[in-house]
Amino acid sequence: MSGFAVFAAKEAREIRRTWRLFVLPGILAFFAVTGPLTARYTKEIVGALASDQLGQFQIPDPTYLDSYAQWVKNLSQIALFALIIIYGGIVSAERRSGTAILVLTKPVSRTAFVIAKATVHSAFLAVVVVIGTLVTWGLTAVIFGTAPGAELWSSALVWLVYGVLFVALMTLLSVLIRSSAGAAGAGLGMFALVSIASIWRPLAEYSPAGLTSLPTSLAAGQDVAVLWPVLTGVLLAAALVWTAATVFRRQDL
Amino acid sequence: MSAVAGASTAAATRTTAAIRATALTKAYGQKRALDAVDLTVDEGSIFGFLGPNGAGKTTMLRLITGLARPTSGSVHVLGHDVATAGNAVRAELGFLPDVPGFYDWMTADDFLRFSGGLFGIGGAVLDERVAMLLDLAGLAGVATAIGGYSRGMKQRLGVAQALVNAPRLLLLDEPTSALDPMGRKELLEMIASLRGRTTVFFSTHILGDVERVCDSVAILDRGRVVAHGPIGELKARYGVQKVVLEVTGAAEEIAADIATRPWATDVTREPGGAIVVTVTDIDAARMEIPAMVVARGTGMSRLDAGEMGLEEVFVELVGGEQR
Repeated sequence: MSGFAVFAAKEAREIRRTWRLFVLPGILAFFAVTGPLTARYTKEIVGALASDQLGQFQIPDPTYLDSYAQWVKNLSQIALFALIIIYGGIVSAERRSGTAILVLTKPVSRTAFVIAKATVHSAFLAVVVVIGTLVTWGLTAVIFGTAPGAELWSSALVWLVYGVLFVALMTLLSVLIRSSAGAAGAGLGMFALVSIASIWRPLAEYSPAGLTSLPTSLAAGQDVAVLWPVLTGVLLAAALVWTAATVFRRQDL
Repeated sequence: MSAVAGASTAAATRTTAAIRATALTKAYGQKRALDAVDLTVDEGSIFGFLGPNGAGKTTMLRLITGLARPTSGSVHVLGHDVATAGNAVRAELGFLPDVPGFYDWMTADDFLRFSGGLFGIGGAVLDERVAMLLDLAGLAGVATAIGGYSRGMKQRLGVAQALVNAPRLLLLDEPTSALDPMGRKELLEMIASLRGRTTVFFSTHILGDVERVCDSVAILDRGRVVAHGPIGELKARYGVQKVVLEVTGAAEEIAADIATRPWATDVTREPGGAIVVTVTDIDAARMEIPAMVVARGTGMSRLDAGEMGLEEVFVELVGGEQR
């Protein structure tokens, strides 16, 4: 096996044998299970808590689309925040602990080091999102009696591109900023900026900024164009990882 | 160690430089951690890189391993320019940093297998090597994760991982600093056993370690190499001879008498009263000093004459004004 493959295998083993196996999957599992239930019983809960104040306002009966919307909303907010915080130290933690020095004085290039990390953790995110989406899909079918796949899977997969973009962004920030908390703060700042940028329609249609709102629209069954945001999102993710590798190659360790 | 150390016994006959630094400079802002260092380490030698804390030893090792880039100058390792060679150089290096960092969740066996895998070693060769290195490190049968190890255990594992690829050049940064006396002795014996087969370059501020195992030494002070060469040559060059004399009376007069002699270049008094004489001709001093003591009608309780050790050379070169 090449140095890249051995190091990538180490990253995968590290996920299996440390807290990484539980945190992000745990968060997504929680939302995958509670999302359909919350969607199903929101009307009853709101009615019980605020029956007098609702007046003439009628809460419509929930549908499977509400369950999908719950899942995508949780992915787009809490799961993304967790991802940003978890990956604030994706590179810098190895520098701080000294493990990067032992690895990078062996036949592993810094480019391979960075790309292996971004690749393995993107794959991990993909696996977790797919499993979470399967759970949501199954529970939605059980609770609502029907669960067409197109809306759910299209929105989840488009969000996955957004998630991978943030893994790539955090890889770069973790190379640039030696503090995990600092990189996470910068990542949250970038998230806020992208969310604001997505308000401007041309940006939302032709740049990765559109990935902020597209999953929600898709989960609601709306017919929206995803090509440009997805394509530019994938290209930007690759460019961010490449930039991270280039910067890392030039840094003193 | 024989199966691990040294890619080939033919290395003993090679005369190429394992490390050649030319005008190597590393600056952090206005401060020069290394200042125009010229250094040659012969292949197959055991080389001690000596200096007080903060002299630039670790910076030098970071430049040799490619972890940092020089501000100016160059460093060639095993014939390759470190700035451009990449994996070609790293494949032949073994490196132990001053404080080795491990993945706490791995066991020693995991880490050695991971390290060997990075060098492309696998199968039965890796199995055999890992077993031997675990034994060498005293970690055979230790199943706990590295996170629970003592500093000494980590240091021993660090040495083992540096040997996993049977390196042509072994770089050790303060390798004995975290070891107990037994561990230190064993490590120095292991380093000595590599002589002629693997080049060993180790930095330290422990003079006894260098004197015990090294063929050659460079002394670094404030980023500059102030002395460089075989230990014996350094002692001969810098280690002037001296005589320590204790008398039962008339010490001031005898010191004054000695100062008039042509072989005495310096005469000082120690706090305890001993007379310390730096001499150019030790035989003449040995013959004349007793006669001078007798001439003053007093006795002599001590007369030591000999060469300065490496420690005294070191102190003389770097221990001056500010330390």
